[in-house]
Amino acid sequence: MKKLFSSSITGPLLALLLVFLCVALTTDRFLSPGNLSNLILQVSIVSIVAIGATFVILIGGIDLSPGSAIALLTVLFASSIKFVGVPLPVAILLVVAMGALLGLLNGVLVAYLRIPAFIATLAALSAFRGVAFGFNNGSPVFSIHPDLESIFYGTFLGAPLPLYYVIFLYGLSFMVLRYTAFGRSIYAVGGNPRAAELSGLNVKKIQMYCFVIAGIAAALGAVLMAARLNSGSPNYGVGLELAAIAAAVVGGASLTGGRGNIINTALGAMTIVIVQNGLNLNTVPTSAQNVIVGAIIVIAVAIDIWRDDITSKIKGRFQSTKNVSKKNHH
Amino acid sequence: MSNSYNSSVWKLEGITKVFPGVVANNEVSLTLKPGEIHGLLGENGCGKSTLIKTLCGVHQPDHGKILRDGKEVSLTSPFSARNEGIATVFQEFSVVPTLSVAENIFLGVLPKKNGFIDWTKMYSDAKKVLAKINVRIDPEAIVGNLSVGDQQLVEISKAIAQNASLIILDEPTAALGLKEIQQLHRVIKDLKKQNAAIVYISHRLDEVVELVDCITILKDGCVTSDAQMTDIDISSIVNTMVGKVGEHYPKENNTQDEVVLEVRNISTSHGVKDVSFEVLKGEVFGLGGVLGSGRTEIAEALFGVKKLTSGLIKIKGKSVSFSNPQDAIKNNLGYVPENRKFDGLFFNFTGIENTSVADLKNVSKWSILDLQKEREEIRKLITKLKITPESESRFVSLLSGGNQQKIIIARWLFADAEILIFDEPTQGIDVGSKIAVYKLINELTSAGCSVILISSDHDELIAMSDRIGIVSHGTVVDILPPNQLDRVDLVKASTDEKKERIA
Repeated sequence: MKKLFSSSITGPLLALLLVFLCVALTTDRFLSPGNLSNLILQVSIVSIVAIGATFVILIGGIDLSPGSAIALLTVLFASSIKFVGVPLPVAILLVVAMGALLGLLNGVLVAYLRIPAFIATLAALSAFRGVAFGFNNGSPVFSIHPDLESIFYGTFLGAPLPLYYVIFLYGLSFMVLRYTAFGRSIYAVGGNPRAAELSGLNVKKIQMYCFVIAGIAAALGAVLMAARLNSGSPNYGVGLELAAIAAAVVGGASLTGGRGNIINTALGAMTIVIVQNGLNLNTVPTSAQNVIVGAIIVIAVAIDIWRDDITSKIKGRFQSTKNVSKKNHH
Repeated sequence: MSNSYNSSVWKLEGITKVFPGVVANNEVSLTLKPGEIHGLLGENGCGKSTLIKTLCGVHQPDHGKILRDGKEVSLTSPFSARNEGIATVFQEFSVVPTLSVAENIFLGVLPKKNGFIDWTKMYSDAKKVLAKINVRIDPEAIVGNLSVGDQQLVEISKAIAQNASLIILDEPTAALGLKEIQQLHRVIKDLKKQNAAIVYISHRLDEVVELVDCITILKDGCVTSDAQMTDIDISSIVNTMVGKVGEHYPKENNTQDEVVLEVRNISTSHGVKDVSFEVLKGEVFGLGGVLGSGRTEIAEALFGVKKLTSGLIKIKGKSVSFSNPQDAIKNNLGYVPENRKFDGLFFNFTGIENTSVADLKNVSKWSILDLQKEREEIRKLITKLKITPESESRFVSLLSGGNQQKIIIARWLFADAEILIFDEPTQGIDVGSKIAVYKLINELTSAGCSVILISSDHDELIAMSDRIGIVSHGTVVDILPPNQLDRVDLVKASTDEKKERIA
């Protein structure tokens, strides 16, 4: 059990430190208080969406839709408050429910209708944003609610509120994955769906729930995104799915499913955002940034695939000199 | 590629290979002569696979030499091993199911004319290769459509097409039926006549003693008995491999009168036709028959994997209907599947998590897991079933086949299963672990559990079952006590089936 969760925090942590050092050394403004608090705000949205990405990756799936889902959900959120007059707290609940519904749609397509996750969520990536453009003639909705920005920019005990959201949600996810039967089942389904079925787990339902969780995570991301800009727009969230997947993968989640640690996803999200932030501060154009995020995903996946070889080589060197007399038990 | 099997003598000298925490091969020396079938035996974890992987270029030895006709060769990759004339036929085949037989045989060296594939030549060459081992398979047939046995022969034809001087067969019969095994043995004997050096690995000792010329036995990474020392005799081999074992089949009779499982005329759309039988409390009910006769399909129907189209299942007199394995597990059924790798084990889990997975409710309250309790309860099972204590903290991929199998059995004990379906429970595990599984079956039945035993090892089936249902074409054609049955009858049942198929 330890292995499942402690699946080496060192790698992701080293990656984060390395990136942090590189950016800090090459960029003057990086360590300025303004930039650092901006960084926390930026990380908050990516890391919350990445929780969803991790749950889906753990069952061996992939979710390409959260960026588009966020666009649709910000538009719905903004419209419901501004045009329908729904009170803010109710609107938040509605958006979360709507996000769960979008996730449910993906989940049903993947788990019950057996559409490959890549295809189903690729279709959703296209469709959700399409629907988002159908509202308000495709125009953004501005100035949603006077109290909304405080959700994002407010502070508590000197720290920005989003930091608390992130800590709470990661804590909750960690507990679910480690200490509940449902969490354990997620790892089982990701590790070997056929064996999971023969062990009496409801594989389809578990897969579907993970997509629902991803939808809820996207909805929470959407609320923060809308609060940050006090607006909703069908253009929001472009490329966010990739950042979220990158966060999970850089955090060591295996794309084949069954292996990954939610806390490492948070480290991965920080790594990705710091890279993006460093590139922004050095005025690297967006096009090049996209290429770099792509490269990071490839490198992280390569490390995941080569990991076993690398560690066995290192350990082999180390132990062959030390431990020759120990025999295999069977 | 070009080294034809012109009588090369292969020698391994002092091969040593160390992995983290274990010396897999320790000073292993072996001589493989042309025209000789050399059996390589030993329990799981004895270092056989490591040695084979060294020979086919997957591992490089830490010390030691590999010599061909006295000249040292270096096998740095599977590709270089192939070029040096070593061909390996693995238990899991490496044929491409979507290609034709001829394409598979010449994969990588397809004959070409003007840069394009010369199909005519390829088919006629393939025919020649197949003729060499007297096999009648259409070179144009798609491999995926062939029987498992024929696929295995295609795999061997690949080795012949490479003109290998050393052919390694690693558990080649694990997936084969009796007829196919006989055919394979004939082919291997043909290869021997053509002067190839052959290494033969199998857990089925009866097969080994029938086929090989000499035997080397490994234990704990070392050669314990070399080709000169080993007698080709099952009981002496078993003694050398595992030490004194007492009885090979320690059968106990624990059958009680109560009927726990009643199967009435069940059918599925997946190959089960009108099957009826009863299983008593404490009984071992065997299901015998050839590969593909429908034994596994019957098991899957009982376990709710495949839905019934008609018929009725009663457990302890109560009618039940399973729409998925969950329902079956709720009614105290357990299923130890044939293929533990694909259907049984979670390689991302340790032994503990692998054991608890079928009954997480047992260690949770309101769905919250009690990890402490989980560890303690399963530790008890690990001790009881004599599973290695390493299984507590290690991923199951690092455990031996026997320990892996016991973990799956432990899973069902943990889930309080009362009717256990064992599908080929001893396939691919060593003699010591086999006996441990038999003893477990005894313990289960003496505790009042019932066992449905599916096995292609007819000696095992006859020795361990209280009654045997003979399966043919997806239905139970006869139910007999084992003392009215011997190997020959089971073989005959399979031959009858062959005739029927032709008719």
